Amino acid sequence: MTQKPGKLRAEFRTELPSGWAFDEIEARIGPIRDQLFKQIGQPVRRKEDRRLVTGRGRFTDDFSVPGECYAALVRSPYPHARIKGIDPSAALELPGVLAVYTGVDALADGLGPIPHSPVPSTKFDVRLTAPDGEAPFIGPHLLLPIDKARHVGEAVAVVIADTKARAEDAAERVDVDWEELPHVTDSLEAIRPGSPRLWDEVPDNTLVCSHFGDADATDAAFQSAAHRVRAKFHINRVTAVTIEPRAALADYDKASARSTLYAGSGGAVRQKRELASVLGIDPDDLRVLSYDVGGNFGARNRVYVEFGLILWASRKLERPVKFTATRSEAFLTDYQGRDLHTTVELALDENGQFLAMRADNVSNVGARCVSLSPLSKGSGLITGSYHIPVAHLVARAVFTNTMCTQAYRSSGRPEVTYAIERLVEIAAEQCGFDPIDLRRRNLVSADQMPYRNAVGAIYDSGAYEENMDKAMALFQWPDIAARRDDARARGKLLGVGLANYVESSIGSPVERAEIAVSPDGEVEVVIGTQPSGQGHETSFAQVVADMLQMPVEAVTITLGDTDIVSVGGGSHSGRSMRHAGTVMTMASADLLAEARRRAGAEFGTPAEDLAFEDGAFKCRATNRFLTLSDLSTATAPLAVARTNEMHAPVFPNGTAICEVEIDPDSCQIEITRYASVDDVGRCINPLIVHGQSHGGIAQGVGQAMWEDCAIDPSSGQQIAGSLLDYGMPRADNVPSFDCEIAEVLSPTNPLGIKAGGEGGTTPALATVTLAVLDALRPLGVRDISMPITPERIWQALASAREANMQELVP
Amino acid sequence: MTTVSLTINGDRRQVDVEDRTLLVDLLRETLGMTGTHVGCDTTQCGACTVILDGKAVKSCTILAVMAEGAELRTIEGLADGDTLHPMQQAFCDNHALQCGFCTPGMIMAAVNIIERHGTDIDESLVRRELEGNLCRCTGYHNIVKAVLDVAGKLPRASE
Repeated sequence: MTQKPGKLRAEFRTELPSGWAFDEIEARIGPIRDQLFKQIGQPVRRKEDRRLVTGRGRFTDDFSVPGECYAALVRSPYPHARIKGIDPSAALELPGVLAVYTGVDALADGLGPIPHSPVPSTKFDVRLTAPDGEAPFIGPHLLLPIDKARHVGEAVAVVIADTKARAEDAAERVDVDWEELPHVTDSLEAIRPGSPRLWDEVPDNTLVCSHFGDADATDAAFQSAAHRVRAKFHINRVTAVTIEPRAALADYDKASARSTLYAGSGGAVRQKRELASVLGIDPDDLRVLSYDVGGNFGARNRVYVEFGLILWASRKLERPVKFTATRSEAFLTDYQGRDLHTTVELALDENGQFLAMRADNVSNVGARCVSLSPLSKGSGLITGSYHIPVAHLVARAVFTNTMCTQAYRSSGRPEVTYAIERLVEIAAEQCGFDPIDLRRRNLVSADQMPYRNAVGAIYDSGAYEENMDKAMALFQWPDIAARRDDARARGKLLGVGLANYVESSIGSPVERAEIAVSPDGEVEVVIGTQPSGQGHETSFAQVVADMLQMPVEAVTITLGDTDIVSVGGGSHSGRSMRHAGTVMTMASADLLAEARRRAGAEFGTPAEDLAFEDGAFKCRATNRFLTLSDLSTATAPLAVARTNEMHAPVFPNGTAICEVEIDPDSCQIEITRYASVDDVGRCINPLIVHGQSHGGIAQGVGQAMWEDCAIDPSSGQQIAGSLLDYGMPRADNVPSFDCEIAEVLSPTNPLGIKAGGEGGTTPALATVTLAVLDALRPLGVRDISMPITPERIWQALASAREANMQELVP
Repeated sequence: MTTVSLTINGDRRQVDVEDRTLLVDLLRETLGMTGTHVGCDTTQCGACTVILDGKAVKSCTILAVMAEGAELRTIEGLADGDTLHPMQQAFCDNHALQCGFCTPGMIMAAVNIIERHGTDIDESLVRRELEGNLCRCTGYHNIVKAVLDVAGKLPRASE
């Protein structure tokens, strides 16, 4: 990001920094001609489905190795407690128990902390720093702590036994001598002077404090504004609930001194690199396998302590060791999401033109800093889809005695989308504007792209107002009044909530593709992304099939084995289709160039005179042709590799609208209609993209309506420990969705891809909340926090009634 | 240890298990049939759904010894050789799965809906019946479509 602190204004058609726009000449790929696309854009059925519908998936816990034993963890029951000693003797007496290891043992063996790299690192990410401007202190993430536990559920010892049940039994008999310490779980509490401190190194628990935008210009604009509105929101903490609990199996081969880790994740290459660092071994001595992954949503991107612990234990014991989390362990210790306190202010002129914005965002990173992605992503997007000339943001990250947070589906963007969309709605009501007109007046328009917002993010392309119009048409907006009357006749309160969104997809900048065409016509692509349901085996095959003019059936995508995949950024931040699509396009161009050279030599004609059609080089004016497989031999296979580094972010965007009906007596909410238009840039496979939209919406709706990692502040205990007490989207509480894909191409990559994985989630927190508030507005309700349970509605209605009564009684 | 005799996907099996063994562990651990999954420990997620004597049940909440003499069907037994069961095919055709972890349980539950209700079903019945099977990827939209597809009743053409 190119902000100059102190003097930044939003800018239309902004000048682009070097390396931002894609250059097809520099990339050596030449122009991409859309008319060649036969597979790209088609709803190709997924290649991965057959194994998954027949029970032949390869999920982590499906693997077993002869002689395997099992790990169980001893976890802290306290949010903050000093470890005065750990006595494993009672556990070791049980039959079948092989070992109990503590943090002291790990330290004695030289194990290091997990080398998390929480500060986003591309050239265009916002720069988050410690309050003194230096790199933030992140809290070393040892596999097992030696000083104290800093959150409920933190593992302090690992037990290995020959069966899972025996390991669990033994874990209960490990005696930890605890000294309870004062704790703090809420980030606004944690930054108060005198609050319990998690790390001696970090005063006020504030590891990051950064300013963005132009404070003086913002102050000036606020002072002269006709209208000012202000609101405070908490975007609650939730967790990913991947249906496959996290699991790993470590197998050590003494003869080769190599370890193999079966562990589904968001990218095996990172797991290998970081775990090798923890163990202090050569990365070549570790092979990580990540095949079918039962959901990720961000929670599996980072390394978990258990993965390191079983690798270590299997090397010490020379036995395979398996760990599969229970659902309760997943609730306590999967990396969690959101948990942002935000205070936002908007200044408007008398016509409703937005003039300036202020935001103060406080992100709860938990006991250690695993990722600053949520705070960072949100920071760049505080002004949302709207043109706001100047803004000022204070972004803080705070330690608390809670599980670490991490990027969770659409990291950081649902939070700020919720804030700006609610603020716009409040402005409309308080200042007397129609909320749709107010949005329309202030949306960034297509001809203002590329648009640099007031904190420096450069939006690549998009037709925001068109999205809104299309979504309103899809939603049958003009019929709302009739539907409201109909609902009222049935005793229901109908409400509608609309939200525009824009999000940034950035992600790890390096990706590599290896493409080989075999003499028998099979195309193998090796790539470093890691799907967990996004269908890479299909959509990537579509891209390569079109580039090489081969059938999609001929293309096989290989991923998830670090002995084959050497480089790759994994899957997060909507990066996979864009990064893989780009580097596969480049590698395909390299492969075709080599094939052309070979064909020229075979034909004895200049290579540039050959035509390439239907997967074959044709000698013009003759009927001679050579297919790519003809040009590949066992001794000289047609094979290429290309590594690409790409930093420019893309900005998927769209509009979503939710309709709810509320029963004012039972306070039950039903979502009766949900429409969205999502600009994903070029859509490779609409079947898959629609699926992503649906799932994304459900996940956002889930947070708005049921999901909550509520923490009891007095005990520090997380209240939801199972699927019995953590509300989830289910088949009977979400509707069918009306989704449309918009394709405004991005200039940042050759295929014009943005991203399609997160747009469903990003606006959904806002749409649901605004719909509920719309329904309850006639009864005097103006605010409600997530999750919007029937109990919260009942409370809101009761408070509103009380307030009305007080108004009536002078 | 107790010997349990049961029929799994048409094959008669005799298996020695500890009395405390859950049915799902008999499948996954003892028999290596890993198509049936475990997603929770409170009978909530439905990833372990199998059809036991004609009823969809969660195999994590049944002791293996309780399946004595029973007829059990799992995801592995659904296809006829290379020909997928119509429900498996409908899941593929309608993109009713993403990560695929809930899919075996979801398909078994869906198959049982058709077996119990025939094709006289609608969206609200399907949604009610699938309430005990959690999916985190699809938002259920395409799963519901797939089940209605098998019943010949797709409600609307939109994705």
